[in-house]
Amino acid sequence: MKLLLRFPPDLHETPHTADVILETGARINIDRANVDAVQGEAVIEVPKEKEVQVAALFEQKGVEVRRLWRLIERDEERCVHCGACVSVCPTGVFAFDQSWQVSVEEQKCIRCSVCVKACPLGALACVE
Amino acid sequence: MGAKTKSVGEINEKIGDGSVRVVTADRMTEIVRELGAEEAAREVDVVTTGTFGPMCSSGVFLNFGHADPPIKMQRVWLNDVEAYTGVAAVDAYLGATQLSEERGAEYGGGCVVEDLVAGRAVEVKAVGYGTDCYPRKEVETTITLEDLNQAVMLNPRNAFQRHEVGTNSTDRTLYTYMGTLLPNYRNANYCGAGSLSPLCNDPDFETVGVGTRIFLCGATGYVVGAGTQHDPANRFGTLAVSGNLKEMSTEFLRGATFYGYGVSLYVGLGVPIPVLNAEVARKAGVSDAEIETEVVDFGVGRRERPVLRRVSYEELKSGAIEIGIGRGSKGSKGSKGGTEKEVKTSPLSSFFMAKRVAEELKSRIEAGEFLLSVPVERLPTPAESVFKPMKQTEELPLVKDVMLRETPTISERASIADAAKLITESQTTHIPVVSANEKLVGIVTAWDISTAVAKREEGLAEIMTRKVVTTDLEQCLELVIRKLERHNISALPVVDADRRVLGMVTSDEISKLVGKKRKRWQWRLR
Repeated sequence: MKLLLRFPPDLHETPHTADVILETGARINIDRANVDAVQGEAVIEVPKEKEVQVAALFEQKGVEVRRLWRLIERDEERCVHCGACVSVCPTGVFAFDQSWQVSVEEQKCIRCSVCVKACPLGALACVE
Repeated sequence: MGAKTKSVGEINEKIGDGSVRVVTADRMTEIVRELGAEEAAREVDVVTTGTFGPMCSSGVFLNFGHADPPIKMQRVWLNDVEAYTGVAAVDAYLGATQLSEERGAEYGGGCVVEDLVAGRAVEVKAVGYGTDCYPRKEVETTITLEDLNQAVMLNPRNAFQRHEVGTNSTDRTLYTYMGTLLPNYRNANYCGAGSLSPLCNDPDFETVGVGTRIFLCGATGYVVGAGTQHDPANRFGTLAVSGNLKEMSTEFLRGATFYGYGVSLYVGLGVPIPVLNAEVARKAGVSDAEIETEVVDFGVGRRERPVLRRVSYEELKSGAIEIGIGRGSKGSKGSKGGTEKEVKTSPLSSFFMAKRVAEELKSRIEAGEFLLSVPVERLPTPAESVFKPMKQTEELPLVKDVMLRETPTISERASIADAAKLITESQTTHIPVVSANEKLVGIVTAWDISTAVAKREEGLAEIMTRKVVTTDLEQCLELVIRKLERHNISALPVVDADRRVLGMVTSDEISKLVGKKRKRWQWRLR
């Protein structure tokens, strides 16, 4: 399960993610993280069996947690299966099938949104 | 054994009586491989080709009908996208790449064309200068495709025989008409339908010519002539085509936006090839492996971009190609003679839709709805074609023409006080910092010095900027200006291959030369 974490600015000084890992023993994979003056944001992958525990612990520490059921959404009407998304994706979400239609392996997505800009048809969106 | 040659008339008779044998161009490749060209010519009457890709050189002629009181449109906008109306009073040509005045590169001519074909309402605004016969000066209305008297697609250059592949040697992402090109050769984008491509199946234009009936975005269209930049000598043939927009479908036509570049139109285009003889069959049997193009480096912002290698569509379609990159490039394996790097490839045109076009054309021919035509004129041969660069009457200045020579540099071991003294004495704001062997290692500005004094820092090495944006003697000024703007800086050092400082280019010097005659870009990236 992927979680989107939003850290309020006053939490930046404390290593909350490290604390959560140590306390839960969950093998968390950080897909993407960025911090700016307003807030910190990270997308993490959590093993299914630890998901509830990890989410609760982050929330307890004041971190906003959102479960990412959808990572990238494609407008099937817009997509013409050109494949402009295929080579720009760092994690290989997109691939051609036998009939040269572009398939989407959503769970690989880390929401970097490079494909969103690269799609000439405007068919891709990082859903909230 | 049947006759060795067929005529278009005979093929049309077969279309009429339902006995015609039609195959798509990719299937023809297999048939020719299995049976040979002679036998394939007997078995197959028509090969249908198809392509579906962004074709910037496209647009539509529109006739709005007359307003009351009538107006002679001097300028006209459709959904805020300007169309050319220097043709009579209420005719206009809307080009696919024209940008919206308000929304910039997010919306443009190609999008308006799609909106029209989709049946969506489009806002029209026009202004005129008022004459005795056309007194009205302004009109605003909302129209759909139905409300127009005529809407005719007329594309000056479509169906490229082949297209170059774009990749990027630089360390920043480039947003181009070849799509998003990641830094350090992380991807390569290509275009064209390979063995399905219309002109690759008739590379010497033996069956396609002026007047050839084609499939254009769902409508029946025609080849008007050779496209602009038609360059058969280099296997870069193109077609100018036309068709009725009112008969088109959004399945085969889409407005598109290339981030950081602009707007285009995806055009679905299919040309039927009458298999007149074994030679035509042999050429229509072309495979992806036999169609080659060139990989070029879009990191070089000049007309002549370096060609990195030749590559076949078969390799491109495999999803990755090897590119030999020079010594010292990032990502290389570090051997002296340069190394091969595996680069992921993406098409920008759709093979899936190209096949849909070829299949659709095939079924229309089989159903007797689409007859083949004999061209009234052949397309220009290599000897008759012209494709040359723009004549430029003004030579573009280079860095060496504007740079300040004998600019001061300072040693990285110098103190802040030394730097402050040098800045004051030399009246410059940027001082390149050099190592003991005279190589550029950083840059300091008057601002850096002030800050350092305020913070009581002492060594120059601690406060200088180490990642210096530089240029070289032969660089075009145009590209340096882009560099200055992109990095939001006002000066950069000119260095040689060994990173020795030769001088400085400053925005002040550029302003003196270029002056204020240049307009700023009207829109910016969002």
